[in-house]
Amino acid sequence: MSPKPIRAKNARTIAIQLDHRAASCPEGVTVLRAAELNGVFIPSLCSHKDLSPFGGCRLCMVEIDGMRGYPLACSTVVQDGMSVLTETTAIREMRRDILELMLSEHPSSCLICTEQAECRENQYTIRKSGVSTGCRTCPKDGQCELQSLVEKLGVSEIRHPVYYRGYEAEHDDPFFDRDYNLCILCGRCVRMCQEVRGASVLAFMNRGPKTQIGPAFGRSHVEAGCEFCGACVSVCPTGALVDKASKWDGKPDGAEISTCPFCALGCQVELHHKNGRLSKVHPHLDHEINDGQLCVRGRFCLPETTHHHERARKPVLKRGRYFREVDWPEALEDVASRLRGLEAGDFLMLISPDLTNESLYTAQKFVRSVLRTNSIDSTARWALPGGTGVWSRLFSLPISIEALAHADAIIAVGLDSRFYFSVAGVQIRRALREGAVLVTIDSRDSNLARVADHWLRSAPGMEGRVLRAMVERLFSGDAGAAPHAAAGCGIEEVSLAKAVRSIASCRSLAVVVSPSAFAVDPGGELAEALFRLEGREQTTFLPLMHGTNTRGALELGALGELLPGFEKADDAARVSLADVLEGRARPKVLYLVGEAPFFERPPCEYVIAQDIYLPPFEVDAFLPAASFVEAEGTLTNVEGRVQRSAAVEHLPDGARTGRVRPDWMIFSMLAETLSADGLHFANAGEVLCEISRRVAGFPASGDRRPRRTSPTVDILPRGAGAHPPADSARRLIAEPGGFRHRGIDLSHVVEGLSELRLEEGLRLHPDDLEELGVKDGDRIVVHVDGMNVTGTARADADCAPRSVTVHRPHAYGGLAHRQGLQCLYRFDGRLLNVTVSGHRNS
Amino acid sequence: MSLAALRADFEGFEGTPADLIPVLQRIQVLHGFISKDSVHLISRWLKISENEIYGVATFFAQFRFKRPGDHVIKVCLGTACHVRGGEQILDVFRRRLGIQPGEATPDGMYQLERVACLGCCALAPVLSLDDKVHGQTSVLQVRDLLGGREPSEDS
Repeated sequence: MSPKPIRAKNARTIAIQLDHRAASCPEGVTVLRAAELNGVFIPSLCSHKDLSPFGGCRLCMVEIDGMRGYPLACSTVVQDGMSVLTETTAIREMRRDILELMLSEHPSSCLICTEQAECRENQYTIRKSGVSTGCRTCPKDGQCELQSLVEKLGVSEIRHPVYYRGYEAEHDDPFFDRDYNLCILCGRCVRMCQEVRGASVLAFMNRGPKTQIGPAFGRSHVEAGCEFCGACVSVCPTGALVDKASKWDGKPDGAEISTCPFCALGCQVELHHKNGRLSKVHPHLDHEINDGQLCVRGRFCLPETTHHHERARKPVLKRGRYFREVDWPEALEDVASRLRGLEAGDFLMLISPDLTNESLYTAQKFVRSVLRTNSIDSTARWALPGGTGVWSRLFSLPISIEALAHADAIIAVGLDSRFYFSVAGVQIRRALREGAVLVTIDSRDSNLARVADHWLRSAPGMEGRVLRAMVERLFSGDAGAAPHAAAGCGIEEVSLAKAVRSIASCRSLAVVVSPSAFAVDPGGELAEALFRLEGREQTTFLPLMHGTNTRGALELGALGELLPGFEKADDAARVSLADVLEGRARPKVLYLVGEAPFFERPPCEYVIAQDIYLPPFEVDAFLPAASFVEAEGTLTNVEGRVQRSAAVEHLPDGARTGRVRPDWMIFSMLAETLSADGLHFANAGEVLCEISRRVAGFPASGDRRPRRTSPTVDILPRGAGAHPPADSARRLIAEPGGFRHRGIDLSHVVEGLSELRLEEGLRLHPDDLEELGVKDGDRIVVHVDGMNVTGTARADADCAPRSVTVHRPHAYGGLAHRQGLQCLYRFDGRLLNVTVSGHRNS
Repeated sequence: MSLAALRADFEGFEGTPADLIPVLQRIQVLHGFISKDSVHLISRWLKISENEIYGVATFFAQFRFKRPGDHVIKVCLGTACHVRGGEQILDVFRRRLGIQPGEATPDGMYQLERVACLGCCALAPVLSLDDKVHGQTSVLQVRDLLGGREPSEDS
């Protein structure tokens, strides 16, 4: 174990000598970091700012006055008055020797080839090959740290016998390829996986010359439970680990900082582009949110989502039995003719919470000022269980992602951070390394429960009551005899008391609540507990919800009952999503903006879809929207930061590139066709300016500071609390699914995600399956509420025992295989007793 | 084997990550090898991932991951035995059993190991079958030692 680092904020500055020049640096950093801070280059291949010192590559050796031999800069801590020589003849010679040793086991013929220059000059394209034999056939050519160091230190021959390990390149897992013949065993990926991500899928296997990296027993990464966060790929200094999708794109032309469009954390990403096209995504080193980390969606799913071959790029109109590609004016005229002269109740717009602030605002303005109705709704509502009132108040709490990393105690409710909100999980682990206490409240087994000091395993749906009991005890102290008994929650009094005691003395506290927990808390006990905690000093919150810009949708009036800025809207003749789903209303015109919460065409006369993919049913008009890399905009994250979403693809209209337009521009063009005023905007920036004038506290430009809302909406009466489960029956848990973007399910367009099979089928604990005599993949019948639903059983060791979990998608595009489960979705997080019986093999 | 059974075998351990190597050693003594199931249980108990456990265990030559054969043949290749032809004896075992040192025969009967010294160099070349040491052996004795077992087909 490395010594505990001195926290940067407490460090004082000390003076040192670097290559005979006076320099200064904070106390407690390594010599390598001190040199870096002073602009002195020391070569290194195994060190990384987020990882513990390893001392593996030995390239960073330096001379230090008063120390014997050549200490390593990466594992030596600076001391006041230290005198360091970073480059002497002896050091230079030894570094070259070390590199030669490394190269003797690394396919490096191109590095020492005398015809290097001519070869590069005559090479017009990257040489694609299954196995790399040299730099010209390696996907990392030009972006490789080893290559650039060899060039920098001038190694021109290898005096040792050359050895090729002869491992088979591994192409079987999704998202990234591995060729351990190129590996230099720097251990960055292993430390990243173990220390920072806590996934521990990678480890060193065997020893000596046979050392290799990978999971146990030769398993694949999918079998070993890899999160596919790509952190290992990002830190690999060679071509051993490379992204599958962008493997042969070569060195990118440039990168733009943007916001990940897939969840409400709003991680900052670098969009690397090549030839005007998004090539790959790397995490941005932004210490406020993700600090160089991402999850599988942000790291690997962006390019495929926008470049998928099913992507719809041209306006389409239905003419009789046929669909015809048309020009914008014709499409707009057709749509506009249907929108003219509509009565109240004839129209409903559904808008996705994944859209930018600009598009959401323009959409609601279009509906309200042009069509003169409040009939606008969103599946954002499904992501805000408890109602808009509760959430507008939750957003007034001090919400912080970064605070997780500095908290002394953390309570995580229902959070499994492997595939959802994984950056929050990384921050929690950071706090744990600094000695924080973690309490998890979860009916399921989660990756955080495994590292928690206290895992309060409640019965499904009882998480809220447990949190409330904890909070009450925190305020009343040990003596306060159980104002809210944890009885029936499946938790022993002793363990609850222990958990409370462990956090009672901690100064700063952070509480994270996942969407899965909110979804099974119909009584709103979670929110109540959070509001109760508001009074505690040094307490921060992180109430999470699915949907990228759900907070923006709520603030900017995309939900019919609220105008922008939480003003109450007139309720007369308003049609809502629930009205349509339950058959209470049948609007003539349905306008779907990035939404497809149906498997079949809803019973409306005219259906307009505006999205990046065609919806899973027939529509009368399709308007192609620009994707997240094709249009500028801003997204509001859970903390209220308004962050820029950059455009890196500026495609001209054409037969192949299509005629996509940003969503806000489509509304603007429609308003113009309808000869309505007030919706003419020259660019997204103008829309943002108008928003900032309309909504108090909303920034007019990319101001990334978190904001707290000042809620004026009353909290609606809450539903009945959850009941402890009956012993005999199983519980149905309808969990919100998170893998969607606009109207499409991500696992449909991203091949790798579908291989992970994360939200599929009816998920049961393996013991339950055994009890039922069913195997993974068998068809089972679930009896619930008088209905029989047949679905595929999936063994999931993380599931709560005696429960059936089904993921409710928020968009049904590409999910035809889940159609049979549709009737379960209407239970929307309610816990129901079900019986499972009668199985047959598929 | 369940977690409870595992715990019963490991009374006295605190269950901290530092216990890993002694725990692995005890498992190998109890079961003869380290199975995937036991790695899974240790992982849950000590809160170390299966991959890390496997990584640690493969670092040391003492841990086995396959069920050993019922009878262990150790052929000495120490200096004296090497000089007196230990290598040839090992070769004959190799061919007759159709396995490499460190492996067990498919029927689980024999386990072949090469060792560095059995401590009786004066009797070189030495080999041991289970706990009985055979001195001054030759390739001619191999067939008898294996009880007349026929060579495997692929040798």
